[in-house]
Amino acid sequence: MDSSPANKAFAEKIAVKFPLLSDWKRTTTKDYGLYNEASGYGTRATFVIDKEGIIQHLEVGRTAIDPTGAYQVCDLLQKKKAAPVPLPKP
Amino acid sequence: MLACVFAICAFGQAAPAPPQTHLKVGMAAPDFTLSDTEGKQVKLSDYKGKKSVVLAFYVLAFTGG
Repeated sequence: MDSSPANKAFAEKIAVKFPLLSDWKRTTTKDYGLYNEASGYGTRATFVIDKEGIIQHLEVGRTAIDPTGAYQVCDLLQKKKAAPVPLPKP
Repeated sequence: MLACVFAICAFGQAAPAPPQTHLKVGMAAPDFTLSDTEGKQVKLSDYKGKKSVVLAFYVLAFTGG
């Protein structure tokens, strides 16, 4: 939702090594079901998407900042043992 | 490198109750085309058949929270 220039400043500040994308129009946030109409903002989430474009892991909310689950799924994908990971119970 | 990691940043007030996405494990990820920090268009489907992708929606990126 930030502009590309704002993201660039942030990327330089934290020295990221991966693409930092801007969803200025919020279309992707909406497509992924993460947009809150009331607040006008999205929520944190992490998705792991395999080579075929299939979601293998997702985590939504404050816990999504913890990359542990994503790491585990990436490890499975790397070993070509990928299997859908069940969603945590609410 | 197995995975290409994207982060989509946002700044603003977090919602008290985060929305629950309709997406589930096993579903196709919606395609998108977004600009990176250099203005280059990045499309999810460009990675299909090539790399797995970690996609992080990083709301409140500047707050450290």
